[in-house]
Amino acid sequence: MALLSRVAERLYWGARYVERAEDTARIIRSYGDLIIDLPSDVPLRWEPLVELTGSEPLRGDGRGEREVMEFLIADTSNPSSIGTTVARARENLRTTREVLPREAWYALNALHQYVSSEAERAVGRRTRDRFLGRVIDDSRRLDGVLESTMTRANPYRMWRLGRLIERADMTTRVVGLRAASILQMRAEGYTQTQVQDPVTGQIQAISEATTFSEGDEPVRDDQDEVQWMSALRSVSALQMYQRATHGPIEGPSVVRFLLYYSAFPRSVQGCLDEIRAVLAQLPDPDTVVVALDKAEAVLASCDPGADDGVVLDAAMETVQAALADLGRAVDVRYLSLGG
Amino acid sequence: MDELVTETGAPRPHAAALMEFIHSLERDELLDRQQVAELDILTMGITFTVYSDGANIDRAWPFDIIPRVISGREWSQIERGLVQRLTALNRFIDDLYNDQQVIADGVFPADLLDDSVNFREQCRGVHPKHGVWAHISGSDLVRDDDGQMYVLEDNLRVPSGVSYVLENRAVTKRAFAEIFARQSIRPVDAYTDELNKLLTSLAPDGVANPQIVVLTPGVFNSAYFEHSFLAQRMGAELVEGADLAVGDDDCVYMRTIAGLERVHVIYRRIDDLFLDPEVFDPESMIGVPGLMRAWKAGNVGIANAPGAGVADDKVVYAWVPDFIRYYLGEEPIIPNVPTYRCMYDHERAFVIDNIADLVLKPANESGGYGILIGSRATDAQLAEAVEAIEADPRNWVAQPILSLSTVPTLIDHEIEPRHVDLRPFILTGERSYVTAGGLTRVALPKGSLVVNSSQGGGSKDTWIIDLHPASGA
Repeated sequence: MALLSRVAERLYWGARYVERAEDTARIIRSYGDLIIDLPSDVPLRWEPLVELTGSEPLRGDGRGEREVMEFLIADTSNPSSIGTTVARARENLRTTREVLPREAWYALNALHQYVSSEAERAVGRRTRDRFLGRVIDDSRRLDGVLESTMTRANPYRMWRLGRLIERADMTTRVVGLRAASILQMRAEGYTQTQVQDPVTGQIQAISEATTFSEGDEPVRDDQDEVQWMSALRSVSALQMYQRATHGPIEGPSVVRFLLYYSAFPRSVQGCLDEIRAVLAQLPDPDTVVVALDKAEAVLASCDPGADDGVVLDAAMETVQAALADLGRAVDVRYLSLGG
Repeated sequence: MDELVTETGAPRPHAAALMEFIHSLERDELLDRQQVAELDILTMGITFTVYSDGANIDRAWPFDIIPRVISGREWSQIERGLVQRLTALNRFIDDLYNDQQVIADGVFPADLLDDSVNFREQCRGVHPKHGVWAHISGSDLVRDDDGQMYVLEDNLRVPSGVSYVLENRAVTKRAFAEIFARQSIRPVDAYTDELNKLLTSLAPDGVANPQIVVLTPGVFNSAYFEHSFLAQRMGAELVEGADLAVGDDDCVYMRTIAGLERVHVIYRRIDDLFLDPEVFDPESMIGVPGLMRAWKAGNVGIANAPGAGVADDKVVYAWVPDFIRYYLGEEPIIPNVPTYRCMYDHERAFVIDNIADLVLKPANESGGYGILIGSRATDAQLAEAVEAIEADPRNWVAQPILSLSTVPTLIDHEIEPRHVDLRPFILTGERSYVTAGGLTRVALPKGSLVVNSSQGGGSKDTWIIDLHPASGA
């Protein structure tokens, strides 16, 4: 089945935008849960979410919940907002309707209508969760339609490729977001200790103010499992993490899981494995495979750690750069008309 | 006259079941069904693109839930008339580009051809398969007060609207599900399959399973929805000019992720002049250099054939009845609207004398642009029109003002008559095919005769109803 390069480009980017919208929704949701959960004296801020999407920091002084939510959900001038990514995904699907099952178009078109009319209201807390849930569900529904009704040929593979590259990237950003909040909490002199709830027996993270200055002992914030749980939830990984590790929720283990546990489909390694399988079925993938090999090597050697926000953040940035190179290789090989 | 009800308000026989059904519904329920239909149109993404303030806006397709109904007996006659008409038109086009017998025999004036803006010298001597040039056409029909259907014009270049025929039906089936079970309404869905067969038959000899593509000017074109729809329904690729290339072997290829792949048939939805910058407009960014070479070498089929538009001309229109007599030896089954040709002194004089009672049409505009309805024009507009006619008489024809028939239409919660026309689509190849009905366009403002969707027109499903399906006609 022939696949025009131009159509390949639209499919690939359509898939990336849908995935970005879905993943942004997941992240906002779990981060919002986290902020609500944490005691009010923990100064966790909304602002790191903005950098998560690779966007420029917000201008002006508006950095509270409302401004950040507006920016990430509804702002049409933000290329990564849910509103923008869904609109772009719709435009890409609208122009590839001839290769997609028609239910796939209906699913995304319906989501676009919903997002267009509801995004502004979802900035507030009352309807936000329902809104985010709909974005996630419709994105999954779209993949369900393709999974069950689309011929396994190059158009389908190109769609998968877009999904997987974006997903791998978003998982590194979830880890990066965690790194940022470690840094932020530390800068503000907070750490957390873990205590057992005397009534329920559950382990809870309680924050307390400490004094922190250069040269002190590294702050022990490897117990802030609530935040690591939130990171896992951002990629719907909490349950699978627990089944896979049977261990406590602690930073290094969570980072290892999210990056390397290839059996989990949203882990970076899991995505790379699937990308490899997809490439094997696409015509002449050699140059892309070279970039994939390199990304895998970078991932294997990125040495993330989990305690030191700076190290973790830098590690994620190198992986993101390698994934960006992989995206460029796809672009040059498959998406340019000269290719 | 109204298509569905008589002057006394009684339903016509073929519309009786529909009108009875509509009257059985509470008004709220009818409105509710209209809303459901509009929601369907949004969800299915049935749109058309309008240009406004320099921007392209994708608008929901305007649709009225009350269908227009035509009896099967009348329709069968119209079908024959359309096939007759398109057969003659294709003979005429083929003749013009080859022997020009029609001119030698004095049936068609040579100087008209010299003036034609749609005649393509580059197409002389080409013999497309089946001798057919206008494979896909849409002829606009209107019914006058006397009940007679007339052909208003023939669209032979890149007529659009057929996707809405199919989508209107899909929407109506859901909105009026009950009534479909009770009546014999001719289905419309076969169109895309018939189109696919026709395009397949245009492939170069020896190609059994041709690669068919739909060539679109791009996503900003007003008919992009349709281009995408047709490609989708036929399993064809939807391509833009930049996706295609003509090789040194004069064959057409498309750029895929696996390299260049051969293309055998192009259903082009871009105008002749933009098709091939090597031959026509060198500035064209949406065409494919070398396409004409490939076509002339017989390496690719193109529908409609370049040059087919020569017969899509409001002046040539006036000769179609003569062509039917000349090429087929038959009398026209569907009449033309009487047409005065301003190129002839006596007809021009008549037009200028009676301009306030005529509709004035420029020969080569589409979409209803440039039309002047004499009875509704100001004196200044009429004077301006006379000036335009005298400056370029060949570019103008005039016709009596027809009173278009009406169909009951939902307007602000009430049912009111609104004027309609009808565009059936005709496929011509080895054999012919006519859509069952076509696109009924409706002028929504009270009294308006302008049905174009680009100018505020709406649309309706069109039902061809066989009251006695067992007659086996």
